[in-house]
Amino acid sequence: MSPKRAPGSTRSAGSAGSAGSAGSAGSAGSAGKRAAAGPRVGQTVGRFEVEKAWLVDPVLGREGPGEIVVADGILESVVWLKGAEAAGLDDKGVVVAPGFFDLHAHFREPGFEDAETIASGSAAAAHGGYTSVALMPNTSPALDEPGVIERIRAAVRAGGSPVEILAFGAVSAGRAGEQLSAMGELADAGVLGFSDDGAPVRTPKLLRSALLYAGMFGLPVVDHAEDLELSEGAEAHEGYVASILGLAGWPVAGEVNAVSRDLAVLEDVLRDEPRARLHLTHVSTSAALDLVRRAKAAGLPVTCDVTPHHLALADEWIAGARRWSWEALGADGTSRDPWADGVLVATPYDTALRVNPPLRTPADAAACLAALLDGTADAVATDHAPHTVVDKEVEFGRASNGISGMETALGVLLAMVDADRLPLARAIAALTAGPAGIVARWPGVAATPVARPRGLTEGAPADLVVFDRADRWRVTPETLRSKGKNSPLLGRELSGRVLLTIAGGRLAYEDPEAASTEG
Amino acid sequence: MSGEGSAAVAWNHRHLIDLDVLTWPEIELILRTTDEMKGVLARPIRKVPALNGRRVTTLFYEASTRTRVSFETAARNLSADVVSVAPATSSVTKGESLVDTIRTLEALGAEILVMRHSVSGAPYLAAEIFGGHVLNGGDGWHAHPTQALLDLYTMREHLPGGDLHGRKVAIVGDILHSRVARSNIWSLTAAGAELWLCGPATLLRGFDRWAAAWSGGAIPGHGRFNVTSDVDAALRDADVVMALRIQRERMQGGLLPSLREYAARFGLNAERLTLAKPEAIVMHPGPMNEGVEIAPDVAVSGRAVITEQVANGVAVRMALLYLLAGAHEAAHAGEAIR
Repeated sequence: MSPKRAPGSTRSAGSAGSAGSAGSAGSAGSAGKRAAAGPRVGQTVGRFEVEKAWLVDPVLGREGPGEIVVADGILESVVWLKGAEAAGLDDKGVVVAPGFFDLHAHFREPGFEDAETIASGSAAAAHGGYTSVALMPNTSPALDEPGVIERIRAAVRAGGSPVEILAFGAVSAGRAGEQLSAMGELADAGVLGFSDDGAPVRTPKLLRSALLYAGMFGLPVVDHAEDLELSEGAEAHEGYVASILGLAGWPVAGEVNAVSRDLAVLEDVLRDEPRARLHLTHVSTSAALDLVRRAKAAGLPVTCDVTPHHLALADEWIAGARRWSWEALGADGTSRDPWADGVLVATPYDTALRVNPPLRTPADAAACLAALLDGTADAVATDHAPHTVVDKEVEFGRASNGISGMETALGVLLAMVDADRLPLARAIAALTAGPAGIVARWPGVAATPVARPRGLTEGAPADLVVFDRADRWRVTPETLRSKGKNSPLLGRELSGRVLLTIAGGRLAYEDPEAASTEG
Repeated sequence: MSGEGSAAVAWNHRHLIDLDVLTWPEIELILRTTDEMKGVLARPIRKVPALNGRRVTTLFYEASTRTRVSFETAARNLSADVVSVAPATSSVTKGESLVDTIRTLEALGAEILVMRHSVSGAPYLAAEIFGGHVLNGGDGWHAHPTQALLDLYTMREHLPGGDLHGRKVAIVGDILHSRVARSNIWSLTAAGAELWLCGPATLLRGFDRWAAAWSGGAIPGHGRFNVTSDVDAALRDADVVMALRIQRERMQGGLLPSLREYAARFGLNAERLTLAKPEAIVMHPGPMNEGVEIAPDVAVSGRAVITEQVANGVAVRMALLYLLAGAHEAAHAGEAIR
């Protein structure tokens, strides 16, 4: 184990059903002996301890030095250290947090298994610290009837990953934007809600029906807010960078228009169906976030998420800039000029940056962060959108939209923490209690395990991630477990290497280096 | 800017895709090399052996007669072997990707690739793949560097002292969709010209914000430029007036009411040109819609330098092929594409 990881020391042992077989106690900082046959992915973690780490429990709203013990897959003890025991421990090293929950990912199965599968996506999720993932229904066939969710569940069982896979059903049959999908049957089959993501719910009339019908089951409509007329042909955020690069613009008005439509329809529907719920995913502009802020203040049952890439990257990356969004802000909060700053270092028009909604200005990225800090944005969701080389190694305007982002989300948020833009506890909450809190507001699932609080809860099946803020790792095609190598962060170092992910008491991911050095 | 540091500048770009990477001394180097190429073109036999045995491939994904023929003429004048690839006759129509096409052309021996493409930024993708040199013949709305350089060269031939400092250049037309306008912004603001971009508001969208961000010369080496829908303000006392082509698709896209209305409000006619300086020159990158953006009598008047632009285009392209081919390969190992 790297010396940098001290004093947070982890020890894991045992295979399924062999509780305590090798779980000897040890002193802080000493490397534990690992059993010859440690648990493999999917197996119950027999015994695992972390000594002297930094614990973050967003449910208790508490963080500090502590220790945990997992036994037989159960989080047996959580000890908060005080006084001399806590001396020298800070939040810059090994951190233990509840497992992350991604409300927005694309695992491409069925239909596009060359881009991602349930198995590869689950591996990517676990590598990113995620223990629960909600998949979007734009598969082929679309998840618009229960047969498709059965195929996904079969793939989950076959894959053996303990990462919890949830799914949204389509709003419309075939995601065609015309007729409602088999919503009732999908609700019976256990979908988390409904979305035509990849595209907005096509018309306000269809949205009204969907909110009403889904409201019967206490389930939400999750909308990708985009006015397709205003964004027609768009290649990048409409603004300074797109003007210079000659890219067709995706205007702010296109998102504002869609969000205001959605809010107006929601307000209307609530008079008839008080259980109607709206979630706006990947909101990307300052102006649209202001609308959500006002709607929340007015008491509308709306929630929203922002993505890591809209928080940390900006449109200037397409021109070749590679600084974080907050480094591109002027003193007055406006966006700086990458040409004037001489920061264009990479080849422009990198298709890994083509994403919908597009990367916005540094000022919009700052607004996403402000929304996260003031609670307007309830969570960070990745919109993990893996693509093949065939779909990305083409002209910018012809490339598929999407960023492979599950494995870099933590590192990106930690970059914001390192820059003192975001408190660590808020970053963790945005990945855990935040999404759990959204789901808890959906009456149809609020009382189910999906909506569990996601803290470090003693006596519950262990669902946690251990990462080391002091341990940096390089994003490369090889380090990404996802089949989608379409990350604009390739080649970059991120902090917060994930050492271990346990989902539902079972091993989901273990850093190969950490495992081998402990062996 | 102009006049400074013109001595002893060496060409060190492997590709030429956009003008945003060029310093003014580098632009002057291109212009001086163009002077030499014009000397070649003035000879009875317009051919020199500079690129003898070198292979220039033109890959034009968009229909173009004048630009492709200009590049091919330039390459032949330098004794290069020229291969011309047109999508209609190639496997591109069978769905071959740009990347595969570039790899194939390289395997067939292409050394300098002159490329035109309808998608902005496509030449950068080509440059990532291609082992030789990429020369941009126009990409989407983004850049048309050889056009802007031949425009600059032609302006300098007509202005006293060949100096654009403080000279007013008005570009009138569909600025939004124009790679010619974008490339001219870089070259003319580097040359010290007082640049005005003019057109209907629907065809100028975003350029006000661009100009505002540039005010005060935020980009090192570049001056500010002006954006207006007031054609009289743009033309008043102009030294150079350039019209850009208006395409019929703009009406279908709801950006213009009619060509007639455009011609009446923005078309360059003799009466409107009286606002410009008496000795002002009239330019057009072609192909022209006579009677729309430019009146037929203006296009053939003594002020029009449109055929000179075409002739200078060959010389500028000879200069760039020469400079790119001469660029020392070893100097570029690991060099970023920008």
